[in-house]
Amino acid sequence: MRQTYGKILPGMKLTDLSGKLIVVEGTDGAGRTTQINLLKGWLEERGHAVLESGMTRSPLAGEGIRRAKEGNNLGRVTQSLFYATDFVDRLENEIVPALRAGFVVLTDRYVYSLMARAIVRGMDPAWIRSIYSMALVPDAVIYLRIGVDELIPRVIFSRGFDYWESGMDVFPGQDMYENFRSYQTALLAEFERLSVEFHFETVDGSAEVKTVFTELQKKILRIVESDSRREHFLKPSEELAESLRMKLEESWVARLREMRSRDLQILPRTEHGSSNGNGHRTA
Amino acid sequence: MNIGTNVRIGPFEVFEPAPQAAERFPQNGSQVFPGKLFVVEGIDGSGKSTQLSLLHKWLESKGYGVVFSTWNSSPLVKDTTKLGKKKKMLTPATFSLIHATDFADRIERSILPLLKAGAVVLCDRYIYTAFARDVARGMDRQWLRELYGFAMTPTVAFYFRVPLETAIGRLVTARDGFKFYEAGLDLGLSDDSTESFRLFQGRILQEYERMIPEFGLTVIDATLPVEVQQAQVRQIAKIHLDRANELRVRP
Repeated sequence: MRQTYGKILPGMKLTDLSGKLIVVEGTDGAGRTTQINLLKGWLEERGHAVLESGMTRSPLAGEGIRRAKEGNNLGRVTQSLFYATDFVDRLENEIVPALRAGFVVLTDRYVYSLMARAIVRGMDPAWIRSIYSMALVPDAVIYLRIGVDELIPRVIFSRGFDYWESGMDVFPGQDMYENFRSYQTALLAEFERLSVEFHFETVDGSAEVKTVFTELQKKILRIVESDSRREHFLKPSEELAESLRMKLEESWVARLREMRSRDLQILPRTEHGSSNGNGHRTA
Repeated sequence: MNIGTNVRIGPFEVFEPAPQAAERFPQNGSQVFPGKLFVVEGIDGSGKSTQLSLLHKWLESKGYGVVFSTWNSSPLVKDTTKLGKKKKMLTPATFSLIHATDFADRIERSILPLLKAGAVVLCDRYIYTAFARDVARGMDRQWLRELYGFAMTPTVAFYFRVPLETAIGRLVTARDGFKFYEAGLDLGLSDDSTESFRLFQGRILQEYERMIPEFGLTVIDATLPVEVQQAQVRQIAKIHLDRANELRVRP
């Protein structure tokens, strides 16, 4: 059965979460997104259903966080908790249902990034760990490690320095370059500590995209095609087939309903009064 | 750790914790704040807001620099909470976290700096509301206490104790129907909103009772006439204000 880091949220059943939860961690610019896109295509080609999830993508809190960050006046505790809200919304409404349906869930960052950011901002490490004690323990945490010196050219030639990625809220008064260096260095040090505690599988993120991808493929293959999984593949579950049929049917019903309502709007108003419902015009 | 003192005022014994920042959050300042923080707690319909606004009036008339902060009012977070409630997207966990986020923003941006500046801060609901509601929704007690570890201890936390039926009687006559989350309809205790409200508030009341000794809440009998309760509240507040000599005055 799946485990959490200590606490279980109300209503969360940990049985039958047969999917695989794979976390890709790393600092800003480590190449996580590139790799996740490659992995998704590759896994789907191999026949796995894949769900991608990442920070601030929750329907509940994503927009609120983006808006709050624009103002650059988000406090440290508030920031940590806003991200926690976003995380739990995705955990409960995306990640867990996907795992239950047997998906491979690829998450771009997980609680570790959130812990590292909070700790670098001076939060108590025990406090932030206790908040995330309700997180599911993933099947693998792949950490794309990259040094600050390799990171900087990537940032310069892509999107430039960002207020939050440079930790401007942590070290006010300096310029973005200096801050980026100090902030990312602090984050990397924190990641090193977390990597031991949470058993990260470290991959050299400074290598060529292709080299990193091959490395990740090897690690992920071990997880998604483990024995228990293969067994599962051999006997397709009746229940699963039934639920898929239901889903298909539902989507058709929804589509038909939509089409019908569209038709009703398009239908020209007749000049001869209304139809009586049998298709016959009333005299 | 500064140990509070017990003060006797007429029939009441008041526990006085020294107002201080949460130990775990050194960035919130470890010094004892010059300001004063009074909070009111109780179930809906206990009359706590009425009492707090009367205290507010009185403090202003005495010339104190008073600032009022209500639950669920952070401009940064409010819209997200509204969205979640309107679309019924909140689970017990996200309900809890979004309220904690709202509270954190109010602490960081207003309550903490105001206390440092020597203001009298009045809060309509504080962390105890979150503890009571979220436990009633099935969240873990210890997890919640950790979550709110950044909150500073109030100077006085008034708890307006009222029997469930009295509170419901006051509310049912005052308005028609309860909102979805307010009535705890998300828990599926009952389909009827009044019945669900009754069951949910019952659980909350139980949690409050449990917290009286845990946090040293100052109990006010909320079945007494409004004036009597207010006299008690003012008497207790006065003791704390008289001791302070760095409080701001209204310009």
